Amino acid sequence: MALVSNVLTQIFITLIAVAGVYVLTGLTGMFSLGQAAFMAIGAYASGLLVLRLHVPIPLAMLLAVVLAVAVGYLIGYPVVRLRRDYISLVTLGFGEAIAALLNRMTTLTGGASGLTGIPRTVGLGITAVSAAAALTLVALFKTSKYGRQCIALRGDELAAKAMGIDITRVKMIAFLISVALTSYSGCLYAFYMSYVDPTGFGWKRSADWVIMVFFGGVNSLTGSTLGALILSALPQMLRELLNFRYVIYAVLVLLIINFRPSGLLGEWELTPANLRALPGGIKRALSRKRRGAE
Amino acid sequence: MSLQILINGLATGSIYALIATGFALIFNVLKFSNFSHGATMTAAAFTAFFLVSQKGMGLVPTLLAAGAAGACIALFGEFVGFRRILKNHSSATYFFVSSITLGTLYEGLVTIRVGSNFFNFPSFFETPTLDLGIIISTSDAIMFLISIAALLILGYIIQKTRLGRALRAVSFDRDTAQLMGIDSTRIIQLTFVISGVLAGFAGVFLGIKYTLYPTLGSLVVKGFIASVIGGLGSLPGAIIGAFLLGVVETGLLSVLGSGYSTIATFAIMLVFLLLRPQGIAGSNVQEKA
Amino acid sequence: MALLSVKDIHKSFGGVKAIQGFSLEAEPGEIHGIIGPNGAGKTTIFNAISGVYIPEQGSVTLNGVDITRLEQHKITRLGMGRTFQNIRLFKGLTVEENVMCAFDPQSRYGILGGLLPTPARRAEERRGRELCRHYLEVVGMKDYMGERPENLAYGMQRRIEIARALMCEPKILLLDEPAAGLNPTEVAGLMELIQRISKEIGFGILLIEHRLELVMNVSDLIHVQNFGKTIAVGTPEQVQHDPEVIEAYLGKED
Repeated sequence: MALVSNVLTQIFITLIAVAGVYVLTGLTGMFSLGQAAFMAIGAYASGLLVLRLHVPIPLAMLLAVVLAVAVGYLIGYPVVRLRRDYISLVTLGFGEAIAALLNRMTTLTGGASGLTGIPRTVGLGITAVSAAAALTLVALFKTSKYGRQCIALRGDELAAKAMGIDITRVKMIAFLISVALTSYSGCLYAFYMSYVDPTGFGWKRSADWVIMVFFGGVNSLTGSTLGALILSALPQMLRELLNFRYVIYAVLVLLIINFRPSGLLGEWELTPANLRALPGGIKRALSRKRRGAE
Repeated sequence: MSLQILINGLATGSIYALIATGFALIFNVLKFSNFSHGATMTAAAFTAFFLVSQKGMGLVPTLLAAGAAGACIALFGEFVGFRRILKNHSSATYFFVSSITLGTLYEGLVTIRVGSNFFNFPSFFETPTLDLGIIISTSDAIMFLISIAALLILGYIIQKTRLGRALRAVSFDRDTAQLMGIDSTRIIQLTFVISGVLAGFAGVFLGIKYTLYPTLGSLVVKGFIASVIGGLGSLPGAIIGAFLLGVVETGLLSVLGSGYSTIATFAIMLVFLLLRPQGIAGSNVQEKA
Repeated sequence: MALLSVKDIHKSFGGVKAIQGFSLEAEPGEIHGIIGPNGAGKTTIFNAISGVYIPEQGSVTLNGVDITRLEQHKITRLGMGRTFQNIRLFKGLTVEENVMCAFDPQSRYGILGGLLPTPARRAEERRGRELCRHYLEVVGMKDYMGERPENLAYGMQRRIEIARALMCEPKILLLDEPAAGLNPTEVAGLMELIQRISKEIGFGILLIEHRLELVMNVSDLIHVQNFGKTIAVGTPEQVQHDPEVIEAYLGKED
């Protein structure tokens, strides 16, 4: 039971980060390869505020998210107005720089051995509620004017500008929302694991999230969520194959890109209307299964 | 700045130049950032390490093997990762995902083979340093010379040969080049081969300079930064950017130490982007209008 | 001062002089046709007016505001709408959402409303949807609101693009070869639509077309372009009988 709870908690934490990546990559078509560095900022900043300055935990988390968003603004400001390759290249550099910094600032961060003794106050409940809240916010964002403008500029920046869309501003908003969500997932991570070290916040984790989004369907929040659930549950089930994890991921995604570029779900979203529109057969099969389970 | 730092910086810069040109070449021709370049370096360097260096052969066979391995890996990547999406004129996002995925794949395969261990290339040189008034490490000097030679050959191919002309034509407009009778698929493959060879060289040099380890490829960031400073997609820009980065970084390293110099270099790049987003070469590739 | 006044704009790419001195004064309710063979620089004129390119020389004023160097989206918000030669509707959005995108920059709710269903958001979304319905009705596409544009006929996509441009509440509307790719029935319907909205809504329209006969009946004034230069300006009758036009342009077309 403790194992299940542990797995679920980690999945929920990942889900929050992936919800952020969905806003950036799925909606807006930008790729951050330093996204995990914002998770590190969230984790370290909230942890340090509690350990060193004895700030109450919720306030520490809030401050950590604000800090990450501020850093995100500094990184994003020169970059969002340029060709989209720049945000990937620059965030990648940022991720490496943050990793180097965390390793180097030994007195503050504990260096390579990490930051220990963070009170373990976050559990399954808080992460589950947070994940649900994050997904709801992102779903609402997608159907708002911002979400529409993101999708519009993703496909055609010139036409978007011609419709009066301030693409620099919209891109920045999408980037900062994704930074906020990712750094919040970092806060939860710190207070769940009770320690953080600089490994595991590199470009691989950022790439991992992008892959989850694409696996499930880059144009669908439901799909991205499903992708995150499947791909983060998979290695837990196949523990002996842990080394092969990235290879399996990669092969799956290459297959998807070549043969089903829209991902598992395409653009399908889980809404009451779409659920009703599902072919009757699938629906009946599902409800039969549900009844069987009960 | 002391002469020593300048010399060391140029030596480091020459390796960065190899990375940056390999990356810029693909960007130049296909207009996308190839994030699998780093892992290609790692995989090629490891291949050469196991097949050649470990058997006691010298630097030149190792480089040849790494170049060949890099070329094969890049060709493989072109085939499984990019061929189809190129043909379908898919949006740029697919190139991102494909290249990220390929990078993950190569790095994953290397990790399966070697775990998270560090490896050292055998020392290829009998005298570790040369005394030419100032002390230069032999490997730095040799790597510098080989890098420069490789870049010169590349420059010659692109500027002076028919192949280079075809390459520039495809880079300018793939569809028109195709109409003019240039087999653009072949040229794209060739671009990947050249980029792969450069990746192989860079991988070996990084392995010699530091050590060989599965995430060595993340040093590709240096090449990216050089490319951004130089102007995305510009080969001369990438080379100038790389040498500049090498010297500045070596200078900062001597003052700040390793962690802070990385941050400082990054900050310099950000400020540079703010002031001169088109890079040194001034080539600013616009998103399709 | 005229509603839109373009004064002697120049734009070149490398050595190619795409526009060599283009001028135009448009008033509300007027339709200006810009014609010329392919490569005459017509689309470049639109791009220079709407802020895609900054002209090297000359000026553009809209409603008394100098927009020559303004960013594209700001020009749009000052009252300029446009359609594209190769239809550029947004993929991944429905017909209604496509038109809404042109309302969204004017929509008055903030980030909080972007994440939560605040009263302001609900009110603005309702207002936007009503406008959407209205403009789609104007172009005769109201019954297709929930469809994906890519599943619709070319002529319908054109109309949706026009509805989207109308949503920008333009004082000046730029239509880039709206008849391209349409069949004769669709063209007739479209020209009727253009005339109707010009009179009803009363904005100025700039219309690019390379077939003279199409703009003859709807345009008040015609500008003939060739190799980046304006070779004639006048009423359709005047232009039709201009020897230079006949030689440089009509002579080559059949």
